[in-house]
Amino acid sequence: MGAFLLRRLALAVFVVFVVTLLVAWAIRLSGDPAMMLADGAGSITEQDLRNIRAALGLDRPFTAQYLGFIGGMLRGDMGHSFMGGTPVARMVAQALPLTLLLAFLSLGVSLLASIPLGVQAAVHRGGWADQTIRIISLIGLSFPNFWLAIMMVLVFSIALGWLPPSGAGSLSALVMPVLTMATILTATNVRLVRTAMLETLSAQYITVARSKGLAETVVLYRHALRNCAIPLITYIGLQFGGLIGGVVVVERVFNWPGMGSLAFDAVAARDYPVLQAVVTVLAAMIVAVNLLVDIVYGLVDPRVRTE
Amino acid sequence: MKTSPYRSLEFILGAGLTGAMVLAVLLSDVLFADGADAMDLAMRLTLPFQTLSHPLGTDPLGRDVLARVVSGGRISLTVGVLSVASAAAVGTLAGLVAGYYRGVWDAILMRWADVQLALPFILIAITFAAILGTDMWKLIAFMAIAQWVQYARVVRAAVIVLCEREFIAAAHAVGVRNLAILWRHLLPNAAAPVLVLMTLNVANNILLESSLTFLGLGIDPLIPSWGGMLADGRTYLQTAWWVSVFPGLAIMLTVLGLNLLGDWLRDRSDPTTRSPT
Amino acid sequence: MHMRTRLLAAAVAIAPAFVPPAQAAGTLTVAQSQDPNNWDPIATFLIAWGSVASNMFDGLVLRDEALNLKPGLATSWEVLDQGMRLRFKLRQGVTFHNGEPFNAEAVKFTMARLLGPEGAKGPQQSNYTSIGSVDVIDPYTVDIVLKRPDPVMLTKLAGYGAMMVPPKYITEKGSAEFGIHPVGTGPFKVTDYQNKVSLTLAPNPAHWDGAPKLDKVIYRFIVEPNTQVAELQSGGVDIASNVPVALASTIANAPTLSLISITGPTVTVLRFNTTHGPTMDARVRKAMIMAVDRDTIVKQILQGHAKPVTSFQSTLSFGFDPAQKPVPFDPVAAKKLLAEVKLPANTTVSLDFPSNDTTFREVAQAVAGYLTAVGLKAKITPHEMNVFTNDIIPNGKTGEMFRMGWGGWTFDYDNTAYLMYHSGEHWNPYDKDPALDAMLEGQRKIVDRGEREKALQAIAHFVADNALELPLYNMNTIYGVNKRVKGLVAPPDNRWRLTGVTVD
Repeated sequence: MGAFLLRRLALAVFVVFVVTLLVAWAIRLSGDPAMMLADGAGSITEQDLRNIRAALGLDRPFTAQYLGFIGGMLRGDMGHSFMGGTPVARMVAQALPLTLLLAFLSLGVSLLASIPLGVQAAVHRGGWADQTIRIISLIGLSFPNFWLAIMMVLVFSIALGWLPPSGAGSLSALVMPVLTMATILTATNVRLVRTAMLETLSAQYITVARSKGLAETVVLYRHALRNCAIPLITYIGLQFGGLIGGVVVVERVFNWPGMGSLAFDAVAARDYPVLQAVVTVLAAMIVAVNLLVDIVYGLVDPRVRTE
Repeated sequence: MKTSPYRSLEFILGAGLTGAMVLAVLLSDVLFADGADAMDLAMRLTLPFQTLSHPLGTDPLGRDVLARVVSGGRISLTVGVLSVASAAAVGTLAGLVAGYYRGVWDAILMRWADVQLALPFILIAITFAAILGTDMWKLIAFMAIAQWVQYARVVRAAVIVLCEREFIAAAHAVGVRNLAILWRHLLPNAAAPVLVLMTLNVANNILLESSLTFLGLGIDPLIPSWGGMLADGRTYLQTAWWVSVFPGLAIMLTVLGLNLLGDWLRDRSDPTTRSPT
Repeated sequence: MHMRTRLLAAAVAIAPAFVPPAQAAGTLTVAQSQDPNNWDPIATFLIAWGSVASNMFDGLVLRDEALNLKPGLATSWEVLDQGMRLRFKLRQGVTFHNGEPFNAEAVKFTMARLLGPEGAKGPQQSNYTSIGSVDVIDPYTVDIVLKRPDPVMLTKLAGYGAMMVPPKYITEKGSAEFGIHPVGTGPFKVTDYQNKVSLTLAPNPAHWDGAPKLDKVIYRFIVEPNTQVAELQSGGVDIASNVPVALASTIANAPTLSLISITGPTVTVLRFNTTHGPTMDARVRKAMIMAVDRDTIVKQILQGHAKPVTSFQSTLSFGFDPAQKPVPFDPVAAKKLLAEVKLPANTTVSLDFPSNDTTFREVAQAVAGYLTAVGLKAKITPHEMNVFTNDIIPNGKTGEMFRMGWGGWTFDYDNTAYLMYHSGEHWNPYDKDPALDAMLEGQRKIVDRGEREKALQAIAHFVADNALELPLYNMNTIYGVNKRVKGLVAPPDNRWRLTGVTVD
């Protein structure tokens, strides 16, 4: 078991390392931040640009810049933003909790809806309830998320005036971003719950529980659902990367100052340190969650370890 | 599997919606000879359901919304289908090789898959779109590059399971060549999950095209595409809803049709499957 | 069923709690498109900086709403030594927000910082390189000595880079800290700044121009123009600073909102690739200019929120010639001219533009439509902003035309013309004309205002005669404002001073 853990951990570190290399390389292909800073300044000379590049440390070779970035990250120093010099660590510390709040709250709301729906679909497998639940949940997956978001703003902010259309200043500002994300997640989660339940419901102990005369709700939610928990958590864990990707776009529409907004601005401004840090942190989180899933799986099902 | 009349509702609805959209798009040249591009600023933002010449109204440049929705589907479907086809082709090949031969290539492939799955795709897409610019072919390439690992993983997993079965061992024993085993036995048996994934990803990529356009990474705005119409029309939602609501409906119905089909296919091929994608 | 009714009742009961709290009287909330990230005057060129930070800083001179120079931290000035020496009498009793006194030493520090290594890191320094030295005559008199003539220097001293900064604060805390927690002498001081989220200002009651009437100003950074308008409509902000043309009528028709649409600082033209392809031929360029109906584009697509231009400058610009006539829209003549050239069949002209300009997306499509109508094949290519300004334009990788939007805060045609047309300039990948170069260099040496204006007008005529660009329009800046805001005067250079503003 120890060797398995160690091997997995080493692989995870390796993956994150490759990601950092890839991102550092790609963003440097995409253009010169010096121009971004000098743009519109009036007469720009090559010397002006060279001065700016030197001030940003971009006159060094790629390996030196990359090693500086990695070294900094290992010490917990993410460098300073090219745009304004704010420490990147401070920006990430501000944005990351907001992104995670959005991601986990959306997941939670979506599960609140998809667990009863998925259970009902499984119980009435093939019947009209199953069909209706699946079709309706798929409708939620059929809109581009930005479109859904704009529609909600039109209804809840402009027509009804109930919710603020943007920002992260109040609890009510959370409602629409979370609903947008949850609508999309629910389609997938209903399906997960349904299939997990189908497997469990055919198991022996459910028949036993039923034959003991327990109420159906108790059988379903106490016994069956509890046994679905592990596979469910596993698959939701595997979706974590996709969840983060979705949050990124939704943040943009609602002007939610999370990691997605940070990353978009960083790409637009060629703010290398910020983009490197954001992608590295997100990738590390995705890898960590997958690692956790692997480990849980390895504990539950020893066969995985030999793979 | 028991066949209940309800079970096929998903199929009927899915096939119907998808079929109708594909048919309309295929016939767009016949229905609207160059109508999608004809511009008339004097006729801009004509209301829908008023005239026969513009049944769904006109856009801010006075172009016919119906003609643009129908011919816009061609780009969206082309992007969806071609990106998925190329991702599936590359991914399936890689998955077959990795799953059958294992060893070093398998290890490299799987680690690379881990790297790609750890990257938030949309961030990588905007970075590369910024570098390379965007047109239809680049959009297709971005999606294919991002998604081929999904197919590789699915096929590899299927192949590994199949290789442990007796008929493969038997084929080996009687001296069937590797290539023949791959082509004749493994590929057909791994096809079902690939087909499911393809259907769902066509739907996904149609949405992705519109999201990328929303983020400013779309194709030439002169070429009508659903994503472009939706993204450009969002500013007009309060004053001229029809400019983006009709392409929005077209996307919704097509994507829903494909998702229903994909869901139905998945259920048929393996009723207890839990694979999230 | 019963359960559902109760839920509904509960939802209705909760709903009022979700309504954004009515903003307090005296607090102004402004939606701003962009966070400049760094509030240091020498580190920025952004209009977004000017529209916010003009409340925080003062220059020696300032400009009024009609763009005339007026006293700022200098009460008077005189021009000595044939324009090579500018002498300023400073305002007495002024302090920075942190209590530091403002005096001649502060002026010297500010200019030394701008012209020294700290300034070299930012984009402002290059505007001020004609300054040779700053001489302190007495604590409230200071001379700015030029090393070469610069007729625009006095105007530039009202520009970003010459905003007065506190010597002691910067020396103690460093420039990085100053960029995040700026201190000036302006009518408002910064009380809170959250990067990319918001900036909060409090009034500076001791300001020399009178105490501001507002209790608080909050700037919220909102990128999407649609979101800004939604916030305005739902009462989350009082001013939306970036209103898309398509939503202007919605705001104008709303009973609680009003629309301000004023001449903006930016002029948009299509510049030609004069060294490659069909647009090498001046006749082709002329035909293309005649083919495009700019008046209709402005009237229909831009809904009148722009003015057609005849040269690359607005009517407010020094160098603007009211006598210069636009090339009339004449597709028939355009076709005839193109027929003379005998272009190969299916000649394609392509137009490059930055993808983030959503209004121009429509204009570009309309231009393509007009070109198609005279028999050219048109193609338009959006580029990501940074790639467009960083690679496509300076390296001459554009198609036959490319969008260029420009507007100097100086409102002097030199600021545009020199950078656009002089050979070897960053923004000029194609044109190389010794005659034009000579005209551009010559006007910079003229000290007489009237003479210089004539020289600038001659440049504009030269450019039009050689069809170097397709002039489009001067876009308005469109603001949406809640009617509870009173006393707002929108300046054409977007540099707001909120001193006289009140909120009911």
